[in-house]
Amino acid sequence: MFEIKHTLCPSCSVGCGINVILDGEEIVGTFPYKRHPVNAGKNCLNGRNSIECCESKFEDIDSEKAIADASKEIKSCDSSEVSVICSGYDTIEEVEAIKNFAESNGFNIGFYSDDLKNVDDVASYDELAAAGKVFAIGDLLYENPLIGRRIVHAKQNDAKIYALSKNENAVTFNIADETSTSSVQEFLDKFAGEIDDSSVVVFNYVDEAGDLDKLESLSCKVLPVFSKPNTKGALGIVDPKSSDEMIELFDNTKLLLVFNDDITEDFDYDFGRISKIISFACCENDTTEIADIVVPVKSWLEQDGSFVNAMGDEQNFSSVIESDNLGIVEVIEELNK
Amino acid sequence: MSYVLAKSQNNEILEAGECGGAVTSILKYLLDEGLVDGVLALSPQDDVYDAFPVFVTDSEDLLKTAGSYHCAPTMIGDLVQKYFIDKKVAFTVKPCDMRAVEELITRHKINRDNIYMIGLNCGGTVSPVSGRKMIDLFYEANPDDVVSEEIDKGQFIIELADGSEEAVKIHDLENEGYGRRNNCQRCDVKIPRKANIACGNWGAEDGWTFIEINDEKGQELIDGAKKAGILETKSPSDAAVEGRSKVENIMIKMAKKNQDATYPTVSEMTEWSRCISCYACRDVCPICWCFENCELNKPYFKDEANIPPVPIAFQGVRLSHMSFSCVDCGQCDDVCPMDIPVSLIFDKLQKKYYDRTGYVAGVSDDIKPPLYSPEKTEL
Repeated sequence: MFEIKHTLCPSCSVGCGINVILDGEEIVGTFPYKRHPVNAGKNCLNGRNSIECCESKFEDIDSEKAIADASKEIKSCDSSEVSVICSGYDTIEEVEAIKNFAESNGFNIGFYSDDLKNVDDVASYDELAAAGKVFAIGDLLYENPLIGRRIVHAKQNDAKIYALSKNENAVTFNIADETSTSSVQEFLDKFAGEIDDSSVVVFNYVDEAGDLDKLESLSCKVLPVFSKPNTKGALGIVDPKSSDEMIELFDNTKLLLVFNDDITEDFDYDFGRISKIISFACCENDTTEIADIVVPVKSWLEQDGSFVNAMGDEQNFSSVIESDNLGIVEVIEELNK
Repeated sequence: MSYVLAKSQNNEILEAGECGGAVTSILKYLLDEGLVDGVLALSPQDDVYDAFPVFVTDSEDLLKTAGSYHCAPTMIGDLVQKYFIDKKVAFTVKPCDMRAVEELITRHKINRDNIYMIGLNCGGTVSPVSGRKMIDLFYEANPDDVVSEEIDKGQFIIELADGSEEAVKIHDLENEGYGRRNNCQRCDVKIPRKANIACGNWGAEDGWTFIEINDEKGQELIDGAKKAGILETKSPSDAAVEGRSKVENIMIKMAKKNQDATYPTVSEMTEWSRCISCYACRDVCPICWCFENCELNKPYFKDEANIPPVPIAFQGVRLSHMSFSCVDCGQCDDVCPMDIPVSLIFDKLQKKYYDRTGYVAGVSDDIKPPLYSPEKTEL
């Protein structure tokens, strides 16, 4: 039976709504969610393609056996040599469960937030669109289009746009008054005199930790945009590690438990150095390829949950299809038995 | 072509539906008589700004679809071709829906024998997010308190939970950048005359639906619904027919004025310069039906290293391929993350094509699509 249901886009931290089209229990397409206040029915290609995760689910894995094998491995390892990786793809409820799981068992916990960190008083999307000056760090029009749209609106409201990107062909440059391919530090130094309280600095990367201090010390609002849907929510629960700290964690790990992420995408690291990797994942990725055990878990489409978007709004979503797999929270309950 | 005024004989539908509930009654007749497998109609979800198509197979559920949803600018044509190709289905159509369906019938993507098109006269639709903002700014009401809305006599009217109403002239709202979607403001097809019937309140007496019967199938529908005892009809007066025509002509005149004002203002290359080549406009377009076979998916059109995409390689190709068939539904504008006025650019070219050939997409009687090429049949 044809049916349309609301959900959230899991592609980045902007927090767009998306409708999925169902034919019975099968997701067959997306449909614009025009009532959603963040994106008004507009979704980027990543958002519309997000449903493709259903095409790479683990059909041949015995879930019960995988959980039993994982439990056996975890119990056979010294807790100080076990590291648990939580992710911005995990829901609020999952991050809390993962943190409790790690703490109660004495495991290390790793959480990588693109080398960005939480900022309490961030600019809202409306404030970005109404800014007098926008300092855009990263090709936001291309990489986070529904944030980019607010920069376009600011431009249409006569804001001056200053754009920094490592890519000299950045789309954001096409609407910018000033462009730069320098380092973040140089960019901020160059335009320091221009930044005032009508400005908003929006960024999706930094070069080094010092850039964050500089950004936080500015006399205007800032808006960090993360690459995963719930990084901001997870930052409120778990302290993040820098990429260097994550590498150090991997170096000291014999058993790595990865909850719903593809660590090979974020880190150029020889994961073969880690004795065992267990991946808890909803669909195939490069980490499940190298994992010793894969435990299939529910995707965001198959469970209720909540994500916190880049401007700090917590948004709930409901399951749109059924799944025989357990969610991460339920898997952890099984592992704790 | 002939006209009737119609009213539901079903009290629940009369209560829930607009102007006599004829549309819901006709859909119920189709379902109850087994003439269709189901009905595709808009149904509100979280609130009146949030409606999308549902597939109804039990006529009891039709009540949830009764009423008008101007803040739900959906497109039915591509859904029918993608998901209902093998079903007998009835659905309501605005003129742009009808035009899209007609273009798809021409391309053999929809079988006319399998469908009933119940047309709805249309003065335009409003985007839900900007509609809420508009109510917040120009009405003495909280957008959350609105239980229904309608467009009538040049006004956008909201009804609140306490039964009170507020109205603001659409002209005033549009002068402030709100009101109907931009494509609706310039749309000059107000009555869907390729639908089997076209329904609305223009020229109708209170409590009645004015129906224009456009073809034999439409006449059979009205006759059947009357025979089944769900519809009552009477002939409209000459004044009613004239009044309806007057409303239509005024709206067309306003649309043409808007076209003259907006077509010269758009600068294609400037707008395209922020295109991120996300294909949202192509994917939502009801006329673009090639899907996986689309040339734009071919490797020679993909240049990952070259960001931004060269506009002419995407927008330009698409413009040259299908703008002649653009039905100005505005779905491309709605989904563009960069707010490029895609439909304005495409509609502007369609009108140029019309000026030279007389072809109005989805309205003209041509049996083949514009620029038809035999190679297309291989796709």
